[in-house]
Amino acid sequence: MPGRRNPRRRSRRSVLTAMAALPLAGTVNACSGGADSAARATGGKVTRITFWSALRGSQEVVDAFNSTHDSIQVDYQQVPSGGQGGYAKLSNAARAGNAPDVATIEYPQVPGFAIDGVARDLTSMVTDELRAKLLPQALGLTTFEQRVFSVPLDVEPMVMHYRADLFAEHGFEVPGTWAEFEELARAVRRKLPGRRLVLFPTDGGTQFAAYSWQAGAQWFDTAGGAWNVSLADAPTRRVAAYWQRLIDEDLVFVNAVESRQSDAQIADGLVLTRLTGAWEAGAQMKARPAQAGQWRIAPLPQWEIGRPSVGTHGGSTFAVTKDSRHPEAALEFIAWQVSHPDALRARLSSGTSSQYPAASALVTVGREAFDRTYYGNQDIYTLFEEEAHKIRDGWVWGPRFTATQRVMQDNFARVGGGQGSLIDSVRAAQDGTMPDLKALGLATTQHST
Amino acid sequence: MTATTQAQPTAPATASRATVPASAQRARKRARRGQLAACAVLMAPFFALLVTVFLIPVGTAIYLSFFSDDQPGLGFGPERTIFVGLRSYAAVLTDPTFLSGLATVALYCLIYIPLMVIGALALALLLDSGVVRLRAWAQLGLFLPHAVPGIIAALIWLYLYTPGISPVIDLFAKADITIDFLGIHTVLPSIVNIALWSNLGYNMVVFYAALQAVPREVIEASVVDGAGPVRTALQVKTPLVRTSIVMVAIFTLIWALQLFTEPMLLSQSSPMINSRFSPSMYIYDAAFTRNNYSLAAAASVVLLVCTIALSYGVTRWTSRANTPEETAR
Repeated sequence: MPGRRNPRRRSRRSVLTAMAALPLAGTVNACSGGADSAARATGGKVTRITFWSALRGSQEVVDAFNSTHDSIQVDYQQVPSGGQGGYAKLSNAARAGNAPDVATIEYPQVPGFAIDGVARDLTSMVTDELRAKLLPQALGLTTFEQRVFSVPLDVEPMVMHYRADLFAEHGFEVPGTWAEFEELARAVRRKLPGRRLVLFPTDGGTQFAAYSWQAGAQWFDTAGGAWNVSLADAPTRRVAAYWQRLIDEDLVFVNAVESRQSDAQIADGLVLTRLTGAWEAGAQMKARPAQAGQWRIAPLPQWEIGRPSVGTHGGSTFAVTKDSRHPEAALEFIAWQVSHPDALRARLSSGTSSQYPAASALVTVGREAFDRTYYGNQDIYTLFEEEAHKIRDGWVWGPRFTATQRVMQDNFARVGGGQGSLIDSVRAAQDGTMPDLKALGLATTQHST
Repeated sequence: MTATTQAQPTAPATASRATVPASAQRARKRARRGQLAACAVLMAPFFALLVTVFLIPVGTAIYLSFFSDDQPGLGFGPERTIFVGLRSYAAVLTDPTFLSGLATVALYCLIYIPLMVIGALALALLLDSGVVRLRAWAQLGLFLPHAVPGIIAALIWLYLYTPGISPVIDLFAKADITIDFLGIHTVLPSIVNIALWSNLGYNMVVFYAALQAVPREVIEASVVDGAGPVRTALQVKTPLVRTSIVMVAIFTLIWALQLFTEPMLLSQSSPMINSRFSPSMYIYDAAFTRNNYSLAAAASVVLLVCTIALSYGVTRWTSRANTPEETAR
């Protein structure tokens, strides 16, 4: 073959060959930066610990801690929020043996990090005094087999944020039950074409979990020493059927909430209510200062007026990781952060947080420190307090909930595109979760149809 | 005819085994030893790389797929590494999300491979026929996209596909055509389009090079026999570059089975591409979202076995397909 080439042609071919090799040198994968946890233990009396968090106001909290403590100093590193890479970063750091002393983990991910051995068993270290300060439902979510794996910071009951100005303008009543909510959804669509009462978030696995939680579902439980999984139980089927009806009748928006589309729906006043955790109030203030005075907050609609209950949406906990060389100091920082008034004051001073503390004694602090002007002087902390006591006890998150949630959301997105149904999505999430749990070697059982 | 198309490296002529004087034999032995040493030195880099970037990772994956850090019961106990047999494989093969990933990739291959092979061959034949003016520029233009790294290509297409920022969608909209490149049914063709754009030029060059090796006298003969340009292309040239076609098909198949970059990037813009869209994405998700290395390793081994089996199948099928033809000749 080579003999047949004339020289001009061959040179061109070698250029092409050289170009073919180029893309190989193209992509260089950026590694998620390792933790700079070398700056610990400086000798002497000062113990330095590292703290990773994506929570709003963390810098203020750490500054307040450092200025009031001499023997422990905290190095704060802002990390991406869990879904944005924060959890992958934490897992990788733990794998490499340099996880921070204190990590922020949301409730649904606590069992996963506990199983992976990233979160330390804190049972013997958590004092009765600290235990007594925390809302039992919150501590229950971080306790497995009577062992505490992380300490709750905030607990976020689902509430209904609504556009009070638009409600008043069009004579809408705040709905107290889901039946009234559905009627209102019809009225909104009738009176205000182009607007909808609410969004069904296709990326809202945790919202859907909270609706099911409220209705009495028990997606996971650990009775009998096994993970018993029943995502499509009767209460969940009821919730799925309800939202499916709203979707089928075109009474709600169906798209992702973490999207420009959703931002536009909120900013343009196209969506009249938002069903999320209490923390959303602070996020809303920060994101849309121009809407000051337009929003109020009401309890989430109930299935039965006589027996009110809610689920939670969001909320974080602090874990001491297996790599911490100063677990006592780490836990002292955590205890201060979740239960000291100065910590909450510092966080709320950032003007971007409305967390509802898991330590009930801090609620009064929150009530005083929170700037109420955005919500037309509504006392939202008192509302949060009432709702927090309605949180149904006994809910358990699954050992790989991030993955469960993703499969569910992947299917929700198809529902938004006109394929499949919500309950099918829930079943798909269960089917996509079981192989994972089995491959981890966990004891499992499956229930529900 | 067949001899001219094969370019085989000529093996160094081995000396005759006739009896030779002892001194000459010693000298030859020394020469052979020198040759062996040269061989070893020249081949060492290849084997070093083969071992470090292929055999060791594959071995590790196989090990990981059979062992696991287990904690019995709920999983909160201390970890211990145990042999788990085929547990991870059973989990992968009963996972509907993995199986749907395999189905997605199968469909992708069915659309992509024929389009790629036929498209690249057609372009090469066109260039070779001399119909095209500015051949060098045409070649360069077709080849350039291949020089763009896959991730950059995906970003460019992400821009062109995303509603709201895409000039293409705007243009269509002006003509009153609504088109969603990232919808349920369009997302796979959209990915095929990116892959075609990236690789068509490269495979075209492969075919074009093979066509250069077709002896001109054969072409002349067919022209003398009265074959038109189309007939020459399809019935004379194409059969002569069959080995290249098989090679391109196998490489394209292997590349397609590892589908990852394009859907991974597009998934940011389209909820229709889920986190376990293709087997490679499933593996990534299993390892880095679910922290389930045994599962990821088992899925990798399954994908590797599928790839080897399919490549072998294609080779066997094509060699069997051409044997009767050749024997008939």
